[in-house]
Amino acid sequence: MEWAELIGRVAAHGDRDAFKLLFEHFAPRVKGFLVKSGMNADAAEEIAQNTLLTVWRKAAQFDPASAGAAGWIFTIARNLRIDSARQAARQAKALDKAAVSAERDEAPEAVDSPETMMTRRDDVSRVAAALQRLSEEQSTVIRMSFIEEQPHGEIAERLGIPLGTVKSRIRLAMARLKDLLDD
Amino acid sequence: MTINHHPPEDLLADFAAGRLDDADRLVIGVHAAQCPRCRRFIAAIEQLAGAALEQANPVSMADNAFATLMARIDEPAASPPATASSRSVQPLDDDLPEILRSCRFGKSRRVAPGVKLQPIILPDTDKSRAFLLWSAPGTRMLEHTHTGTELTLVLKGSFSHEGGEYRPGDFDFGDGDVDHQPIVGSDMPCLCLVAMSGDLKLHGWLGRLISPFVRL
Repeated sequence: MEWAELIGRVAAHGDRDAFKLLFEHFAPRVKGFLVKSGMNADAAEEIAQNTLLTVWRKAAQFDPASAGAAGWIFTIARNLRIDSARQAARQAKALDKAAVSAERDEAPEAVDSPETMMTRRDDVSRVAAALQRLSEEQSTVIRMSFIEEQPHGEIAERLGIPLGTVKSRIRLAMARLKDLLDD
Repeated sequence: MTINHHPPEDLLADFAAGRLDDADRLVIGVHAAQCPRCRRFIAAIEQLAGAALEQANPVSMADNAFATLMARIDEPAASPPATASSRSVQPLDDDLPEILRSCRFGKSRRVAPGVKLQPIILPDTDKSRAFLLWSAPGTRMLEHTHTGTELTLVLKGSFSHEGGEYRPGDFDFGDGDVDHQPIVGSDMPCLCLVAMSGDLKLHGWLGRLISPFVRL
């Protein structure tokens, strides 16, 4: 199944069959991903819903030459998670009246998502090439540490390496990725 | 623009994973917008995150989830709330990078001779604060270290300390392990975007004497 092609069909003519396939594949995974990162199931369900709603609305902005479908959907879910954490913080503050300064009370979304930056196409092929050359173990260690936020003990266990070397493995993997991208 | 100093990779990875607070994210975002190299690194982490998403254990959605979503799609999209463009306070500098132009600013204040600070109002500023820091040419900052972290991006002018010279686009990271005394370049004022958590600790008898008055 080519996810990028399905997103293209949604963009081109609002293809609901294509969208359903995307929903069935990605919504439960976004939810699972968020639950695993410690979010409660209801909040995760809502973000998964909104992620797919955004996929529908912004399908035309997806450029298969610039990102993989899963990476693009991840960035949507990530931004929604940031927004929802922000809202929760604001509500908590509003409850604690004493902490609310008049200035902050009316503060709109001040940061217009600094993440929404375009990556140029020539960058993209370099990213893809670098990731291909990164060893399986190195991409795993980066993923476990930065994306899945696993404790070092767990990483050590899963990779079968001593706890003491986890940190240096992570550092080496990050340095290697940086070098590959600079090539 | 030649950028010689970049954020540490773990900050870029935390940015890509969506784990930085607003102030830190703003500084990394403005740097990355100017730096293709860091953008590539962030894109690489996002692709790895996509692979992790693909392999995540699916958790079933509610039975009617798809139908509910289709019903929402058929509703006309709610127009986004009008962004309050009523900006009461003008930024210290009217030629800022695009991301900063959409920010709201607080009132600028003088923090030391030749040094002005203008807070940036962010929705979530519990952990760290973001501000513009303007320093007159040749200003010598007091030697200091940090109780938290300090992320600095040069927007205009330059400064230097033992880590080298920092020009527009350059990024400087400070924490408790760093003890430095930046000096602003003598040819023009220096404008920086800073995210700071914790406090500065000033050294020397002068620093101790004036630190109650230097409010960063």
